Amino acid sequence: MSLEFAYYPGCAAKQVQKEAASSAEAVADILGISLKPMPRATCCGAVSLRESKPAFSLAVAARILSEAEAMGHDLCTICNTCLQTLSHANYRFKNEPDILDGINAVLKKSGVRPYQASIKVHHLLWVITEQVDPELLKKKIVKPLNGMNVAPFYGCHSQRPEEIFDGRKGEKADQLDQLIHALGGQSVHYDGKDKCCGFHVMLSDKEEMRTMVGENCLDAKNSGAEIMISPCTLCDMAMGAYQKPAESVVGKSINLPEMNFAQLLGVALGVDHGTLGMDRLHVDPSAALKKRNV
Amino acid sequence: MEPKKFTLRIQRNEKKANGSLETKWQEFPVEGTDTTTILTLLESVKGYQDGSLTFRQSCRSAICGSCAMKIGDRTRLACKTHIGSVVDEGGVVSISPQRNQPVLKDLVVDIGPFFAKVHQIKPYLQDGPDSDTKVGASAYEQVNNVTQCIMCGSCYSDCTMSEVSSDYLGPAALAKAFRFVSDPREGRKTERLKALSEDKGMWSCVRCVQCVATCPKDVKPMEAIVKLRTRGMNKGFMDGVGQRHAMAFHEDIQKTGDLNEFTLLMRSVGIVGTLAEMGVAFHLMKKGKIPSPFPHKAQGIEELRSIYRDLEANPLDVETKAEEVVPE
Repeated sequence: MSLEFAYYPGCAAKQVQKEAASSAEAVADILGISLKPMPRATCCGAVSLRESKPAFSLAVAARILSEAEAMGHDLCTICNTCLQTLSHANYRFKNEPDILDGINAVLKKSGVRPYQASIKVHHLLWVITEQVDPELLKKKIVKPLNGMNVAPFYGCHSQRPEEIFDGRKGEKADQLDQLIHALGGQSVHYDGKDKCCGFHVMLSDKEEMRTMVGENCLDAKNSGAEIMISPCTLCDMAMGAYQKPAESVVGKSINLPEMNFAQLLGVALGVDHGTLGMDRLHVDPSAALKKRNV
Repeated sequence: MEPKKFTLRIQRNEKKANGSLETKWQEFPVEGTDTTTILTLLESVKGYQDGSLTFRQSCRSAICGSCAMKIGDRTRLACKTHIGSVVDEGGVVSISPQRNQPVLKDLVVDIGPFFAKVHQIKPYLQDGPDSDTKVGASAYEQVNNVTQCIMCGSCYSDCTMSEVSSDYLGPAALAKAFRFVSDPREGRKTERLKALSEDKGMWSCVRCVQCVATCPKDVKPMEAIVKLRTRGMNKGFMDGVGQRHAMAFHEDIQKTGDLNEFTLLMRSVGIVGTLAEMGVAFHLMKKGKIPSPFPHKAQGIEELRSIYRDLEANPLDVETKAEEVVPE
């Protein structure tokens, strides 16, 4: 089975969270997943564009999906918000023919190839847990996690609303848990695992955002987590880079290393720490990794 | 179906004389099939095991909204939830009161704060026209979801913003507000949008979609909030971080294709806000997390400029598909 995808890393992975992109690309390479660049793809617009310019946001999404379709591939992303935005638009295109026709008419007028609504939108995490042969993954692990307690932080936009994600489990999403177990770790159960990282109100509701970060990290830590992973570049930014500012709001020290799932997977697959951008993490994971001999 | 053994792990709450709350967990063995409702099992516990167990209930038909409580990881109506769908591998399910509201006893909360938020948005028609108003099918269709609300409080209980902000209006009140902003008979739509644009109103929703997932009546509160924001901006209520942030996206997509995260901060919070963020900025800089002012440029950006111009000149309604409603 050939695993080729049109690769859509999203804005954060090209800029502030570039370690997620280099890690994702490295692990994809090892696992035989080919991620093809999309030179024409723009920012997905997130829900913000849907709020300010609803029709334009669908046109932007259709143009991105159409590029992947013309390449002959499904689309694969590493950002939850891109995943949700493109899946939401794709769901509408597949279920509301009048919307697809209206948007395609607009695309055509501006010389863009109309979208046939034939492709699917995936997260790299799903590709790895659903499409990669588990035996291959097992064979490629050179540094198993040796029972490390890892907190999965799913992030809202890869779970909800359930109907747009092609029948995936939503509330009972377990892809991160599956991955943690496959790598030889223990997944930590805690209340905050499907809560919000607060990224989207980082600027408008600062205290509230930091409280969300602080409470979720504390919850994970108090449940025994040694490391936290997320499948989303925006959750990484919130739970990782904003963990220190959050400490002063919740009035407690947290110090829980947070990283993208692809970084921890990369560690287990033996990718060098430079490629994984481990030095860009705000909470140094060295001690936690060393403790488990990873 | 064969009866099976299950365990209800119930949070018991008791107010002490000094006003503090004593909380403990108690397990009750129960019997039922996979499709027995949680409410039936709670009643059997109360009837045959412990008469002091306290919870609210009434209609048994998912229409009165009395029996919303946290069942498993989410807030649900006890009368609508089948035990088989929520238990873990060991047949156990945890049940506790709704969150984000004061607990009175066991599974009962004070729903006052929740209803205070609903009253805050004035849940009634104001100053409509004196003559008859024709309400077309499309006007009704756009509020089809929000009018199903039974005020059970489930969304408020699971709202991730309400958990950290007692001032935030919350999903149910905002969904109700959308119902009035969309009503052709309503006379103060613009005034409502102005009020909703204020601090801790519609712009404080973090868009976690938890309310959509939780709602037992498919109200989809967050979808209503997204539409309210569009209408608020269309009416010119732009004076807020959320609004300015939202407006940055279509500019950047036409300029380079990618979001300019470097200037996004400045445009969202202004100079004073940016200075206030400097502490965090320095913290981010240490790890190279300050974005480049020159983001990657995508091919074919001129297509997006053309699409944008076209849609500004020939608007396409993709959200409500409803006729413009008058009067204002």
